[in-house]
Amino acid sequence: MAGHDAGNQYQFTGFAKYFNSYTLQGRKNCVLATYAGIATLFLFFKLKPKKQKQIAEK
Amino acid sequence: MTLSFFDQFSLTAFMGIPLIALALTLPWILYPTPQNRCLNNRLLTLQAWFIRQLTHQLFLPINPGGHKWALLLASVLIFLITLNLLGILPYTFTPTTQLSMNMGLAVPLWLATVLIGARHQPTHSLAHLLPVGTPTPLIPILIMIETISQFIRPIALGVRLTANLTAGHLLIQLISTAAFYLAFTMPTVSILTMGLLLLLSILELAVAIIQAYVFVLLVSLYLQESV
Repeated sequence: MAGHDAGNQYQFTGFAKYFNSYTLQGRKNCVLATYAGIATLFLFFKLKPKKQKQIAEK
Repeated sequence: MTLSFFDQFSLTAFMGIPLIALALTLPWILYPTPQNRCLNNRLLTLQAWFIRQLTHQLFLPINPGGHKWALLLASVLIFLITLNLLGILPYTFTPTTQLSMNMGLAVPLWLATVLIGARHQPTHSLAHLLPVGTPTPLIPILIMIETISQFIRPIALGVRLTANLTAGHLLIQLISTAAFYLAFTMPTVSILTMGLLLLLSILELAVAIIQAYVFVLLVSLYLQESV
């Protein structure tokens, strides 16, 4: 099935070695980074203190 | 009591016994039990050949690790084909028109393939969510789209089977009602409608077999990604 290519023929360096859309590890790391980013955004807005609303109520 | 067009899909009980239980279990007795003989009779030989051919074709692209699913998927295929075909007969109840039943089949099978992939090949399973060669700016969006499509799979599996069977049965009932009432006022149109009903019935026979096959084929494809 398409997508099972391990991508060993690509020689990436630096950041692209760990985050790319060609190697298996690169794709996995991109997915995990995206999930971590979404989780961070969710937690940021969830735990954000609602100071402006309290000032408006006063 | 006047019946509406949707009464054919309602779940009934007779003396406290839900009839869907009978509709699900009784088709089993239509199939002869395989015997431990070197040479069986013609019917058993044909049945065994048919099931072996289907299973072989279904599991050709799957790695040996997934072959332990052969009994389960062959059973589901025969089960669905039998229920769908028996439902084509007049005055029978088709259990596969119930979304609850189809989701009850689709969700556990899909979830099992996902969990097996996560357990045995976590890197491959995660990497599947990002197609090879995706341009960098599109990576986060495509990952989210692929994740959503992953979760839509069981819903699509269940709803596809339900909608196809329900729509087919409704069409048959509508056109047969039209052909019946037109017979008194416009006999020629009624005969043409009966011709249309015959073609539709042949189509529904094909849809009954194909939809059962598509259900099992898609589960085998999801399994292929995970083993």
